[in-house]
Amino acid sequence: MTFEQLVQNLDAQFSGKLNCYTEYKCNFIKVKDASVYKDVLKALKNDASFLYIVDVVATHWPKKKEKFEITINLFSIQNKLRIFVKVAGEDNKFPSITDIWKGADLMEREQYDLMGIIFEGHPNLKRVLLPEFFEGHPLRKDFPLKERAWFNNADEQGLGLKFSR
Amino acid sequence: MSYNNISEVITVNMGPQHPSTHGVLRLVVDLDGETIVNVEPDVGYLHRGTEKLAENRTYHQCIPLTDRLDYLSPLSNNLAYCLAVEKFFDVKIPERADYLRVILAELARVASHLVWIATHALDIGAMTVFLYAFREREEILDLFEIGTGQRMTSSWIRIGGIRADMPEEFFVRAKDFVERFDKNVDTYENLLTNNRIWKMRTIGIGHLSAEDVQDYGTSGPLMRGSGVDFDLRRDEPYCCYDKFQWEIPVQPEGDTYARYKVRMKELREANKIVGQALETLPAGPVMTDDPRVALPAHEDVYERMEALIRRFYIVSKGFKAPKGETYQGIEAPKGELGFYIVSEGEERPYRMKVRAPSYVNLGALNHMAKGHMLADLVAIIGTNDVVLGEIDR
Repeated sequence: MTFEQLVQNLDAQFSGKLNCYTEYKCNFIKVKDASVYKDVLKALKNDASFLYIVDVVATHWPKKKEKFEITINLFSIQNKLRIFVKVAGEDNKFPSITDIWKGADLMEREQYDLMGIIFEGHPNLKRVLLPEFFEGHPLRKDFPLKERAWFNNADEQGLGLKFSR
Repeated sequence: MSYNNISEVITVNMGPQHPSTHGVLRLVVDLDGETIVNVEPDVGYLHRGTEKLAENRTYHQCIPLTDRLDYLSPLSNNLAYCLAVEKFFDVKIPERADYLRVILAELARVASHLVWIATHALDIGAMTVFLYAFREREEILDLFEIGTGQRMTSSWIRIGGIRADMPEEFFVRAKDFVERFDKNVDTYENLLTNNRIWKMRTIGIGHLSAEDVQDYGTSGPLMRGSGVDFDLRRDEPYCCYDKFQWEIPVQPEGDTYARYKVRMKELREANKIVGQALETLPAGPVMTDDPRVALPAHEDVYERMEALIRRFYIVSKGFKAPKGETYQGIEAPKGELGFYIVSEGEERPYRMKVRAPSYVNLGALNHMAKGHMLADLVAIIGTNDVVLGEIDR
């Protein structure tokens, strides 16, 4: 199955709700209507053999109306085809896809940690790379790079220490 | 009071300073007696914020950052990043550069797999292999030192080609190494493949089915060890792997022993590719002359004003990538290593996401370890082949 055939099949099912394009040799499927986002992913997994989940990427666009964007990177080993499913939203809440692919668990946790996306329905949404008392989400564009407090000044472990510059 | 029916789950901390966790991996293990109920990896001790750093650096300046991801095979990381940036420009890479990239990436694979077999066997209790494998790895690092000037963080693969051609000594010694290496793999296999203790410690341990590996997104030898015939070098071709004769090892069993066999076969196949590439290495330049990405050569800089200006411009300000998004994945030693780059038409990437194979493979750890004994967890971490530099980024 080529990308064109896949787009035809999807258009029959979700007409007018998808925007499919190819850019720099990568195939993108932009879900315009966020309510069918998980149905598209389920259809891709069950009907189009996209069994292998590669990655979940979140992007922050503070100047756009839809401030957050999720890109799911999928690969079909049967058809040797890679696609990127995109969905954008005004706030940082997106449905979790851990019920479709188990591997999305750790990928979504990382995006929550670094980008502050709340994946609704995720079983274990907590920080993974940064310490639990870290404030803010560093990959956001409005995260301050300078003049930042040293973690927070609270004494997390109750050791009687004072953190200051 | 009877102690027979007491089944109490206790939580044990393993790492981050534990010899078998290969770095700073901390595991919180729930145990029922000696049986593992649940494993939760706690990572991030080595977090350096590579993705955020990349947003404030030019495309050329990002290359040294990629070295520090999977520090056992830095050249694979360079390759993945440079291929991703080159996708924006559709650069034509000179043939010799393509061949040399393949040679470097495959030697990096051999070096990475040698560290894997050394530490994996050491964890399980076979110490001899460690010494033999590190002897060969040392030779590869020497080769890198001759060819690229650095043993580990070499940054030798650049956008548009490679930094410079290798000296003659590199090719002579690489050919010598390739000729001898197959016998060295025989040595490791003699020590392990039919070893009764090795088989008892690995057969049936850490099972992953063909559905599981795709569901968890685990790639590389973990996927091929579970009977999924998938290799990005063949299925999404990059560089010039189609010019060489080689095979993709696949084992259907899905346990630690199957993955061991896959990786041992991969050592031989990688060696085969290096041998063929050295035999058929074409002559020519090693850097593209595409002015959009390539630094002008030093000879031109000394003689031509435009080249001097262009070089100064690229070094000080960087080149602009067109607007858009792209992704390039390569078959790194640990699995699919990918760089997803979002460009806003500036000199710096707007967003760079590293798809680190070790991080994703770690997601399947709990599934692999459940129901096994605590001692088997050491074998499962070893077969997962994690590198913490890549997990924490």
